[in-house]
Amino acid sequence: MIEFQGVYKTYGADSRVSHALQDVNLHIDDGEFAFIVGASGAGKSTFLKLIRREETPTSGEIVVNNFRLSRLKRKDIPYYRRTMGIVFQDFRLIDSMTVFENVAFPMRVVGKSRREIRHRVEHVLALMDLQGKGNRFPRELSGGEQQRVGLARALVNNPSLIIADEPTGNVDPQMSYDIVEMLTQINKISNTTVLMVTHEHELVHQFNHRVITLEKGHIVADTGRPRRVGTVSLGAMAAEMGGAEE
Amino acid sequence: MKLHQFFHLIRESFRNTWQNRLMALASVGVLVCCLMLTGFAYLIYVNVEQVFQNAVEQNKVAVYLDITLSDYQVMRVGQKLENIENIDDIRFLSKEEFLAQYNDALSDETMDSFEGENNPLPDTYIITMKDLAKFRETLTEIEAISGVDEASYDADTAAVLSRVRNVVLAIGSGVIGVLLLVSLFIIVNTIKLTVHNRRLEIYIMKSVGATDGYVRFPFVVEGLLLGIIAGGVGYGLIALLYQLLLDNLTFDNPLLKLVPFSDQWSPLLLGFLVGGMLVGVCGSAISMSKYLKQEGSERL
Ligand SMILES: Nc1ncnc2c1ncn2[C@@H]1O[C@H](COP(=O)(O)OP(=O)(O)OP(=O)(O)O)[C@@H](O)[C@H]1O
Ligand SMILES: [Mg+2]
Repeated sequence: MIEFQGVYKTYGADSRVSHALQDVNLHIDDGEFAFIVGASGAGKSTFLKLIRREETPTSGEIVVNNFRLSRLKRKDIPYYRRTMGIVFQDFRLIDSMTVFENVAFPMRVVGKSRREIRHRVEHVLALMDLQGKGNRFPRELSGGEQQRVGLARALVNNPSLIIADEPTGNVDPQMSYDIVEMLTQINKISNTTVLMVTHEHELVHQFNHRVITLEKGHIVADTGRPRRVGTVSLGAMAAEMGGAEE
Repeated sequence: MKLHQFFHLIRESFRNTWQNRLMALASVGVLVCCLMLTGFAYLIYVNVEQVFQNAVEQNKVAVYLDITLSDYQVMRVGQKLENIENIDDIRFLSKEEFLAQYNDALSDETMDSFEGENNPLPDTYIITMKDLAKFRETLTEIEAISGVDEASYDADTAAVLSRVRNVVLAIGSGVIGVLLLVSLFIIVNTIKLTVHNRRLEIYIMKSVGATDGYVRFPFVVEGLLLGIIAGGVGYGLIALLYQLLLDNLTFDNPLLKLVPFSDQWSPLLLGFLVGGMLVGVCGSAISMSKYLKQEGSERL
């Protein structure tokens, strides 16, 4: 669950002041899939950064998964972040590590055993259609493949929330669709909340998800949770995902 | 931290060091230079100190007693000398021993004529002082003792040496301190470059929930590793150079003799390793802390 109560975020001061978010009030339930859309500079990235506790609001209160962020101590931030996966526009894979190591990275951080890591990483790579690519380095992959590695890394620790800031910004339209489709499957099958920022209205219209529109730091439109569940077939992937939950 | 995590991180540190071997080489190079400069400052100090000690040895004061004193009076003067604070060592030279020193120079006849009552030489105390800076005061004290005829000395050498040593000590410790700070500063900036290349890694580690300790760990191990390497290499080089100096530098003056390296290898090796590790670890930790504190994907 994500809750914003009267949140303001102001960067800078005096002549360089920038009101990135103004009086944002919002409630997102567990298991929702929400697109965040809006023009450049509308405050979309700021919104995600506040949730990730990379920035703190100038005023207002944010509650995520029962963590009241204003009371979160610095030393608890890592543990808070372990509850979420993150996907970047520019993939942010570590060049010097293989695909396998990149995906294993978050599991190492939380201290999973080697057996668990091998098992789970293989599984998630297969899920992202990356079988047999574990020993490659990121530079040996296409943009779409790299983003799927990014997705695998975000998924690997079974987060309850996935945050993606323009994950489709650097891949072609077909791959963009596939990536949102994968996120949609993850959202449906493991009830993971997904927040995805995007510029691409085309893409948004292809899915039946909640759309939150930001403009100059204000929420100007919010479709709310769609009543009718979309017609996406769960199919074979559902069975596979089932295997992921051990 | 779990054990397998620990070993994984150690392995990662080695891998990282190897991957950044060019910058690692630069850091080690800088650290080796600083350690060697510090080492040389130390060796110079050790040598000056030795020259000083030798000079003190040479700078004995002969306290000649009145020829007329009885054995008891001679002993009393000895006791009074012992009570003087600044006197380090007292050796008694009887007039017979004194005379014996001229055995070679004088003919047997002459020697015989100076036997017993005819001995023209005085009983003498040979003393050395603890602090040559107080040379004059101490001499005045000695000459004030009744029964002392004269104290012979070379005051200028003593005073100059004492001043030289104090100056070298002050400059030496100053130089060593400054050099350590400078090397820390350079190391921090060198490592900063390597950390800058890895800020993405740091950011990702943080974004998946790595604690500060976990993120810092490989950098600290890397600093430790570089420090040990730099310490070892620096020590080897300085040992080599010093040996070269020992082999090629000879002075006419017996006072000016270089301290053999064998006397100094253990403090040097220890200093180099500990200094290298300290600077490496601190440098690494300091230079990455900026990125550890930094949040925000856009500033990458
Ligand atoms: N670290 C910062 N310091 C100062 N101003 C900032 C900072 N980050 C964002 N801003 C300002 O806050 C406003 C919102 O920025 P934000 O990055 O949230 O926009 P966005 O909707 O993600 O834009 P885009 O679609 O271009 O990524 C902008 O005016 C931006 O200039
Ligand atoms: Mg943005």
